[in-house]
Amino acid sequence: MTMNRTILSAAIGALLASCAGIGLASAQEITVWTLNFSNKQANEAMDKIATDFQAANPGATVTVVRRGTDDHKTALRVAAGSDKGPDIYFSWAGLGLGGEYVKAGLSAPLDKYYTEYKWSDRLVPAAASFADLYPGGKNGVPYTFKGEAVYYNKKAFEKAGIAEEPKTYDELLAAAEKLKAAGIPAFTFGGKVNWHVMRLMDVILETKCGAEKHDKLMKMELKWTDEACATESFAEMEKWAKNYILAPFMGIDQTQSFNLFIAGRAAMMLEGDWLVGTLTTNNANLDDYAIFPFPTGTNRLYGFAEYLYVSSKSQNPDLAAKFLEYFTSDAVQQETVGMFATTSPNKNVKYENLPAISQEWLEVFKTYTEVYMNGDQAFPLDVTTEYFRVINDVVAGNIPPAEASKQLQTFIDGRS
Amino acid sequence: MQIKRSMEDARFQGWVLLGPAILIYGVFAMYPLFDVVVMSFQKWNGLDPNRVFVGLDNYRFIFTSDPVFWVAFKNTVIWTIMCLIFPPLVGLLLALGLNQNLFGRGVLRATYYLPVIIASIAVATMWRWMYDPFFGLFSQLMTNMGFGMSIPDWLGDRNVALYSVFIAHLWHSVGFSMVLFLAGLQGVSQTLIEAARIDGAGRWGVFRYVTLPALTSTITIVLVLSVINSLKAFDIVYGLTGGGPAQSTQMLALWAFTQAMQIFDYGRGGAISVVLLLITVSIVVPYLRWTQRHEEAAR
Repeated sequence: MTMNRTILSAAIGALLASCAGIGLASAQEITVWTLNFSNKQANEAMDKIATDFQAANPGATVTVVRRGTDDHKTALRVAAGSDKGPDIYFSWAGLGLGGEYVKAGLSAPLDKYYTEYKWSDRLVPAAASFADLYPGGKNGVPYTFKGEAVYYNKKAFEKAGIAEEPKTYDELLAAAEKLKAAGIPAFTFGGKVNWHVMRLMDVILETKCGAEKHDKLMKMELKWTDEACATESFAEMEKWAKNYILAPFMGIDQTQSFNLFIAGRAAMMLEGDWLVGTLTTNNANLDDYAIFPFPTGTNRLYGFAEYLYVSSKSQNPDLAAKFLEYFTSDAVQQETVGMFATTSPNKNVKYENLPAISQEWLEVFKTYTEVYMNGDQAFPLDVTTEYFRVINDVVAGNIPPAEASKQLQTFIDGRS
Repeated sequence: MQIKRSMEDARFQGWVLLGPAILIYGVFAMYPLFDVVVMSFQKWNGLDPNRVFVGLDNYRFIFTSDPVFWVAFKNTVIWTIMCLIFPPLVGLLLALGLNQNLFGRGVLRATYYLPVIIASIAVATMWRWMYDPFFGLFSQLMTNMGFGMSIPDWLGDRNVALYSVFIAHLWHSVGFSMVLFLAGLQGVSQTLIEAARIDGAGRWGVFRYVTLPALTSTITIVLVLSVINSLKAFDIVYGLTGGGPAQSTQMLALWAFTQAMQIFDYGRGGAISVVLLLITVSIVVPYLRWTQRHEEAAR
């Protein structure tokens, strides 16, 4: 059952409304389209927020409609081509999928609400920075913010004689070499799901090209064939795959990779803050693990965000913005802490009784004010698919690094 | 009177009975088919209000610039050839074996047919775990037999992955061919078999000159269905490799889906679908006509 009773009532209401030839939206009614998360807490928390908002704003009605990921994407595409649709919709931040909807005009700029409600004062800067990615103003507010860093097995590091967390890329390479000498593969990845291996390429690009050039490569403003750092990054990928990644890895997915990690078959994983929950669910001893941001030297955190956008077709944008104001408020975010993600995008939220590894994450989120995002969120979808292919071909040894840059650039140049 | 006479007319009654089916078929099969053909000449991402006519641009792209299309084309050809050989052959052998008077024959028939009723995605999940290079069944078996150092990356090596997926498909689909052949074998005249034996024919002779000719229609059906199913191969590949590694197990049907439903380039997805449709029609229709002529000549 993907629809709860509330949604069913809303669907029947919508049907009756359209049959009667009247618009869905009224002056006091907004609809929120979001995902049907496997995390039940997140779904229940959103329902409660909607109910509480209604109680705090007599006469206002908030209908939450949840769908599976693919159904949600399809519904948004249908909404983009029609007059009806949500007032607020969930999507990812970045120029990829989320950016497509913004580019298509489905999202309304929220600059005046950012000023009116002073959202920038309460939001974690790294999480809020995604709203500025789009031309034409600020779009959306953060729903969650997720950072990615290197998780490592303390015992494996100890066995390999690694006393300190690597602070530079060269130190990381040296650590990988020590692990290899101790018979422990440095990293585990699941190559079946392209985005897992892609993470290593993303962080190496940030390391080798630096922040500005990396961003321009992802925005396709620089040519991958002209920038030596791009080819150098592919060469590094090849080196890591040959020497330091637990093999074979191209036929396994991220879950199998995770199982190998907690089985102690590899020392590190490049994962998001959500892995703390996964480790807990799998009864792993959290004290055996710690994290450090991949040492890129650019002082930016690797991560991505999920956002709530106000639809440009909303009949009640003020009420929608008011709902977002309520959603991101200190009180609501404090009440729902840990339900949507490990941390809140609201920087005033207090965390108590957290395990050491989660405390480390909080420090990471406090430290970094800028973010570089995953390649599959940064590129348009067709380029993402090609980016996956060339990375996989490089790590599988099918094409040399220079050829990878060439093939990717040829594809980008050939886009109409 | 005239109306009554018309209603009693068999042709009229035929059209009335066919009407709902034609309507449903038209709305849910023919119209989408036509729309996909139209879409293949358009540029549309599902977001823009208008579909822009781009002529042959989508076809030009997939034939000349798409780095994956020809890989998918080649894989589809290899897959189709394998589907034409192995499932019918193994299905026939199983059917011949299970047509004998064996103890537990019914149970064995059901057992071999069982995989057919399992959803492809469930089959893919099951085989993915069996192919796990670290903890999977095959890797454990090879390790136990002393071949631990030569375990291939079943789904991660581009030279092996397609064939690994095909083995899973063979396990999943062979029961269907077997059942068709079993049905065909029930129609082979026992009188002819007895006559052939009296004339001195051995087991091979009976099979070659009596059983096999009697199975011609069944073979035609099995081969045509194999071709059609192989050209639209999708779910098992999607579940096992997703088209990877590095798109090396990509198939035309899966690539059309990827273009349309994941990259949201409906025009290119449509163009690939049209190419796939033309290939299917160009193989199946001549083969059916040839078989029909052959059967008519034999009567």
